[in-house]
Amino acid sequence: MILAGKGRIDRSARLDFRFDGRALSGAPGDTLASALMANGVTLVGRSFKYHRPRGILTAGSEEPNALVTVGQGAHRAPNTRATVQELFDGLEAVSQNRWPSLRWDVLAVNDLAAPFFGAGFYYKTFMWPRRFWKAVYEPAIRRAAGLGALDGGHNPDRYERAFAFCDVLVIGGGPAGLMAALTAARGGADVILCDEAPEPGGRLRFETGEIDGMPGADWAAQVTAELRTMDNVRLMTRTAVTGAHDDGTYGALERVALHLRDPGAAPLECFWRIVARRAVLAAGALERPVAFAGNDRPGVMMAGALRAYVNHWGVAPGRRVAVFGNGDDVARTAHDLAAAGLEVVAAIDSRPDAARGGDWAHHPGSVVCGTAGGRDGLEAVTIRKPGGETIRLACDALAMTGGWNPSVHLACHLGGRPQWDAARAAFVPRPGMVPGMDAVGAAAGDFSTAACLAGGIAAGNAALSALGRAAQAIDAPAAEDAPYAIAPLWSVPGKGRAWLDFQNDVTVKDVLLAAQENYASVEHMKRYTTQGMATDQG
Amino acid sequence: MRLPCPLCGSRDHREFTYQGAAVMLDRPAPDAGAEAWDSYVHLRDNPAGATRELWYHGAGCGAWLVVARDTVTHAVFGAELARQVRR
Ligand SMILES: [Zn+2]
Repeated sequence: MILAGKGRIDRSARLDFRFDGRALSGAPGDTLASALMANGVTLVGRSFKYHRPRGILTAGSEEPNALVTVGQGAHRAPNTRATVQELFDGLEAVSQNRWPSLRWDVLAVNDLAAPFFGAGFYYKTFMWPRRFWKAVYEPAIRRAAGLGALDGGHNPDRYERAFAFCDVLVIGGGPAGLMAALTAARGGADVILCDEAPEPGGRLRFETGEIDGMPGADWAAQVTAELRTMDNVRLMTRTAVTGAHDDGTYGALERVALHLRDPGAAPLECFWRIVARRAVLAAGALERPVAFAGNDRPGVMMAGALRAYVNHWGVAPGRRVAVFGNGDDVARTAHDLAAAGLEVVAAIDSRPDAARGGDWAHHPGSVVCGTAGGRDGLEAVTIRKPGGETIRLACDALAMTGGWNPSVHLACHLGGRPQWDAARAAFVPRPGMVPGMDAVGAAAGDFSTAACLAGGIAAGNAALSALGRAAQAIDAPAAEDAPYAIAPLWSVPGKGRAWLDFQNDVTVKDVLLAAQENYASVEHMKRYTTQGMATDQG
Repeated sequence: MRLPCPLCGSRDHREFTYQGAAVMLDRPAPDAGAEAWDSYVHLRDNPAGATRELWYHGAGCGAWLVVARDTVTHAVFGAELARQVRR
């Protein structure tokens, strides 16, 4: 659904594309996911194990559900995230894990047999008789297994690899990364700024907050423009840093031409090895889902993602939206939705003392304990009030937020372990986990925009002094500095399956069963339940 | 991993070829006896920690280096030209 007059992309130009053979259209700046949402497509894929209908959950590279196959013949690329794939004219995408069609899928019968497919099913079932393995089990498993399918032909596309060297590598171009890059660059250091999006800005592209009196997205564009004018700065967009290796060597994957209809002489992707004397980890944070029964139904999505679709792309999955979570992002999301002209059906906050954020139905101390709807999406949610009574609310979409997990992944690549921060209810990096790399902003657990900006300046100056250069006196721009108010909410008890790993179909019950059978260590639990073993690593 | 070549500076390990422990530089005298030659040809320590190794900078200056590094932490302590070590 398009929200007329909303969003930051221009919908007057039109790009034609096809999804499962259907002719649809979007606009320049759309991802495949936002274009599907603009066209009212809610069912985008089937899950791996139970073939459950799934919709778009996120707005970024963390997407577990909206995996599609893009391209045709030997060019086809399975497991492309619709939330990352940029739309171009003539794009062809098809859904996965379904036969004969997305709406009518034979293996959805797995979902009815789910009681027999609990954690460790593979290990318990296919053990005997031995002669069945080759003849029966293996062929059946091979047919059902795998995410997407390749054509089998030799891929004729071009891929490239390259090397780069710099004084300071900044990983992530949100408010923290932009300020770190700007500070280091003004101090004369040779800077590379990598951001996985088409434009830097991070959450500033998706939120409504202001910096120095202008919209955050405009501020980010202004800083980006300044960085582009500087000879000692290389801005690498569409580039995800994938690994931290010994002695300041980093791997990075650039999507050079995956967003183009005709790549011409350019490779589709380029793998970079970047050698940096210092690095700043400003990779932001990922929003956590809440585990409640039926949280995988199309129409249930992350609150931060929904704000992104509404504020940046000007689209929404439905007119009537409920918001559920455990922190101040509930009110923030409800506010943005109401400002975009959507009906906020309810703001459901698990904290008993949650403040009413605006003029909408406010349910403090309450949780969502169930969802209802058809295969195309959500029709209602069930709320459990503090006294235990339940009420059912009709809605088209539910935004959920369980708080934010700092993106500590790169900090852990050399064997360092992050530490648990009880106040933030999240793991944060320890100093020195990767020599020469400092984590700042949301990646370090500092979630307010003001803290990100100040942290970026400090990290830029720390890099300059480590390089023997003079620190820069830069005033932090004015921005919101709201405390991060959250109460842990990991799962909502009750009947029904509550999904933890959407991509590999792992539920709270599977994890409890694994623990009961003494697969209690994280590694054993992962192996036993397959949690975190799909392309999104859980 | 990066190795500090005394002639070329810090370079990616892909430019180098690994040969083995630097004890190869301590070649016994021809008449040192069977035990010394057996030790030189066949016996190697397998340390978890500090080592000294021979690396060949084939994609750089072509020099043989003695590299001191730690097999546990991957820390590289330094590198010298093998011809200066062996003197
Ligand atoms: Zn050399």
